[in-house]
Amino acid sequence: MKQNLVTLAVTGAFLAFGSQAFAAPDWGKVPTKTIEVFHPGVSPIEWVTKKADHSGSSGLKKGESCAGCHDEKGKLSLDLKRLASKDMEPKGAPKTMTFPVGVQAAYDATSLYLRLTFKAPAGAADPADKDNDVKATVMLANDKVPQGAQVGCWATCHNDARTMPGADDKKTKYVKEGALDLMQWKSAKGAKAVDGTVSDKRAMEGGTADVKAEGSKSGDTYTVTFTRKLAGGIGLAEGKAVPFGVAIHADHAVGRFHHISFGYMLGIGAEGDVKAVKQ
Amino acid sequence: MGDGNKTGLWASLKRPSAKYSLLTLLVVGFVSGVIFWGGFNTAMEATNTLEFCISCHEMRDTVYQEYKQTIHYSNRTGVRAICSDCHVPKDWVHKMARKIQASQEVYGKIMGTIDTPEKFEAKRLELAEHEWARMKKAESRECRNCHSFEGMNVEKQKTRASKMHKIAQDDKKTCIDCHKGIAHKKPKGMKEDDDDE
Repeated sequence: MKQNLVTLAVTGAFLAFGSQAFAAPDWGKVPTKTIEVFHPGVSPIEWVTKKADHSGSSGLKKGESCAGCHDEKGKLSLDLKRLASKDMEPKGAPKTMTFPVGVQAAYDATSLYLRLTFKAPAGAADPADKDNDVKATVMLANDKVPQGAQVGCWATCHNDARTMPGADDKKTKYVKEGALDLMQWKSAKGAKAVDGTVSDKRAMEGGTADVKAEGSKSGDTYTVTFTRKLAGGIGLAEGKAVPFGVAIHADHAVGRFHHISFGYMLGIGAEGDVKAVKQ
Repeated sequence: MGDGNKTGLWASLKRPSAKYSLLTLLVVGFVSGVIFWGGFNTAMEATNTLEFCISCHEMRDTVYQEYKQTIHYSNRTGVRAICSDCHVPKDWVHKMARKIQASQEVYGKIMGTIDTPEKFEAKRLELAEHEWARMKKAESRECRNCHSFEGMNVEKQKTRASKMHKIAQDDKKTCIDCHKGIAHKKPKGMKEDDDDE
């Protein structure tokens, strides 16, 4: 009996250590930064940088970031009525224009872990994705992307890209210089995590960050965890901060009908809007 | 034969009065002047009212409807800026110049250049550009009748307003450089500002 107990204890300890060595961090100990995502209407980078459309473009020219002006202590400071208007959203805006996403990050010697927690609202404007209720995407930009740290994902978003009014349906996101890693989780059963890239075009596979994504729904809350190699893709490293942005396709939404975040900095053992906790 | 025997209106006006005292002439002249001046200004002020501006359907059905949705029409404190507050200078010299310029609009009215919504939309950008150029040239004088950087506490503003106003002051910008389309719909096809490139 005594021997059995010892065996059990040893086995338990082994399992505990074993699982710790491979598992994601203890998320209960990682602080959560709440970032609001919103439906951006048709506001590609050409719109953002044109003063006639967006008077804040003069702020951008001075080095200001989108979030620097439009994130008011964690709350969005935006003209949402304008974004949802016929002028900026000819196809119709989703019923819910904004919702919060909890972002947590951690890292160890080899990997980055990123966890998103959110409630995906119904009422999409273009619920054409038959396979996925929800998709969650994160992009990370390298330092060659023009204004990457200021505009985040907008660096990839152009008025001639697919699903923009009148645009070529084959043209995807792209950047003029630099590159971004694109990680995506899809809610469809058995869907593979996307380990993609954006440079002169978007590729939804072929990335080198060894991306893994797990998602679950509890009640009406989705929890999505990404794991990727630090060294792969655009090359992350301890002591560096990297621009990132989040996009959620809620309620079967496709293309530009996502809710997106401004660009924020992810600090990996460095200062940032979201600081990854060392494991 | 002397000058006094000449007839005609001009000669009568030039002839010294033998009938009325200098005091009478001065008093009558002064009172007439006051009546004329007061009448002129009253008539001019009548063209500065909101009612006058929207007495034509060209304004009433278009820009007036847009303005009614904005903060310059309805707000928390009840201070309202009407058409002339933004579009007509307050001081007399600039006001007269603007009124004379605006007399062209009578011609437009007669010719019906913007008498349908379609014609108005086709002209919207051109009309807006004229007004923006006037405001820019006057360094947003009409805005500054109420608003000024001196009286502005940017620390009390939202972050985006605060940051942009600091940039505007550093760059010696005036209100209209950024605040286009705040009381009416922004026209389509706006050009980028030359001084902003």
